Amino acid sequence: MCKPKVGVYALTSCYGCQLKLATVSKILEISEAVSFESFYMLSSASTMAPDVEVAFVEGSVSTEKDLEELHEIRKHSKILVALGACSVNGGVQSWAEGDKKVSDLHATVYGTSKIDAAPLQATPISKHVKVDYYLPGCPPEEDEILYFISAFLFGTFPEPKDFPVCSECRMAGNPCILIERGEPCLGPVTTAGCKARCISHDVPCIGCRGPVPHNTSWFDSLASVFKAKGMSRESVRARMRIFGAHEPNLEGHLDKIYGGTK
Amino acid sequence: MRYVKISKADTYQFLERLKRRGTLYAPQKVSELSYDFKLLEDVKEIAFGYPRTIRPPRRFFYPAEETLFTFDTTRVELYEKMPEDETVVLFGLHSCDIVGLRIMDSEFMDETPDPYYQQRRKNSIVIGLSCLPDEYCFCNVRRVDFVDAGFDLFFHELPDGYLVRVGTVTGHKLTDESSDLFTRVTEQDINEMRAFETKRAGMFRLNGNWDSLRYQLELRMGHPMYDREAEKCLGCGNCTITCPTCRCYDVKDIPSIDGRTGERVRVWDSCQFRSHGLVAGPHNFRESKKDRFVNRYMCKNAYNRTTTTAYCVGCGRCTQFCPAGISFMKNLMEIGGYVEMIPE
Ligand code: SF4
Ligand code: SF4
Ligand code: SF4
Ligand code: SF4
Ligand code: SF4
Repeated sequence: MCKPKVGVYALTSCYGCQLKLATVSKILEISEAVSFESFYMLSSASTMAPDVEVAFVEGSVSTEKDLEELHEIRKHSKILVALGACSVNGGVQSWAEGDKKVSDLHATVYGTSKIDAAPLQATPISKHVKVDYYLPGCPPEEDEILYFISAFLFGTFPEPKDFPVCSECRMAGNPCILIERGEPCLGPVTTAGCKARCISHDVPCIGCRGPVPHNTSWFDSLASVFKAKGMSRESVRARMRIFGAHEPNLEGHLDKIYGGTK
Repeated sequence: MRYVKISKADTYQFLERLKRRGTLYAPQKVSELSYDFKLLEDVKEIAFGYPRTIRPPRRFFYPAEETLFTFDTTRVELYEKMPEDETVVLFGLHSCDIVGLRIMDSEFMDETPDPYYQQRRKNSIVIGLSCLPDEYCFCNVRRVDFVDAGFDLFFHELPDGYLVRVGTVTGHKLTDESSDLFTRVTEQDINEMRAFETKRAGMFRLNGNWDSLRYQLELRMGHPMYDREAEKCLGCGNCTITCPTCRCYDVKDIPSIDGRTGERVRVWDSCQFRSHGLVAGPHNFRESKKDRFVNRYMCKNAYNRTTTTAYCVGCGRCTQFCPAGISFMKNLMEIGGYVEMIPE
């Protein structure tokens, strides 16, 4: 059997998604089944972008170099998968989107010192190249990583989840902490797949898996629930933007509930 | 039908003995406001006076996720994965949940026999428990507040124990095996039970019946309630996942990393999700959130066949567990023109 060539690449990120992929319990079986052409976490001999069948890209585009690399990767891969919250939704580094200029942020952090990377406002990779599949999570779930790779090996494709964490929370038999304690849980607007990991540990969801795709994240409905519980527009907006700053419906939905003022 | 009596103390003893008959699940408190059917390890942990559980009892026979079979594509073979032959004993189901199971039976056994469901269901023991309604209950207008089939035993609360209604041969055997725990019913017990029933009947917020509701719904498909309420909806599916009679599932193939084998699983689905109405094309029968919202109202009240007058048994879960605070009961009252009477 000829092994499919796979590349695992990182743009600006914490490398956690790559680490997660490198440490899934079946990584040896995966390495038997595919040929990793580039995967820094597994081999420092990795280089950038030889031709691959599948490229997994973690991280957001946050520097000029990221952007160049991303175009290179796209050019050399048949299937491109956005891996993790940064790649899919821009990640936490995107929170300043539309609010603060990247030059100001840069100056606040680095002052006048010279650094190599020319900064860009952090963006999800789909803003720049065509993305074939999205594998969300911060970091992604092991079973989903295996599902994606297995689906490619079978010559089929991974189905996206278009329903929220709430449904998994309920199936897990968790009491609802939004209903019972009024905590600002983002489970109703966040893509399922983690089996309500945080709520199962009694912590409200902060939306790390990103908004439910296909325009079925109802930020307006959730904002109106939060508003009724006495939460301010600012606090709701801040929370929804941790992993959702690039969501095109967010501001419009917030305006609808709280009125057009920030 | 036969009636016997058991004291409160002996009920614990009886629960202890039930553990020998199979895996025993019963309502237990899981948070400030919520209860769930859980494995009953310590019989003292049981919550006799619970209003409703988060998860409906159907999950014991129709789990939220199960593997139907595994497959090998190179050998072109399927390996069926039938459930273990174990007995599940469910103690403490309210009458609405018992009817909920009967509705499940009608879909998964009478209509299209489902071997997985059947296998789990055939050995099960179902024991009912009387209850007092809270603000979310409307089983009475659904006419399932008193259940006459679908249980092996039914425990009616008395001041000093339970009056136990025996429903099946299995129920007879259970009481016979523990004849040291059961006594004869006295005239006073019967009066106490009737007093309880009268008190209970007076606690419902609604009265009459909703048998005509399905027609009201068919006639008022364009009612403004749908626009107003669907707008609030989160599309989260909590209402369907907690419903004792929702039965929609999705079937998925999960391939293995060997590129050869895999498994076919079924998972609970919800009509509140976009892909539930998605077919090849890609056409969607229920394109908008409102379309999806309306579907549930019709499914629960107008699409049912013969088991009861509706597929909604009035348990109140979809309202209590809706994060958006949407009241199914109030919305249905609006369409049906029914009037609430708040009990004193
Ligand atoms: S706790 Fe959060 S995820 Fe769970 S049901 Fe409530 S809102 Fe949904
Ligand atoms: S519950 Fe929310 S924050 Fe936690 S892992 Fe799931 S999506 Fe992420
Ligand atoms: S529709 Fe709501 S009230 Fe009716 S049976 Fe389902 S969960 Fe209970
Ligand atoms: S169509 Fe909706 S309401 Fe009806 S059974 Fe399916 S999920 Fe439940
Ligand atoms: S539980 Fe409430 S918010 Fe969620 S889908 Fe059902 S009606 Fe909509």
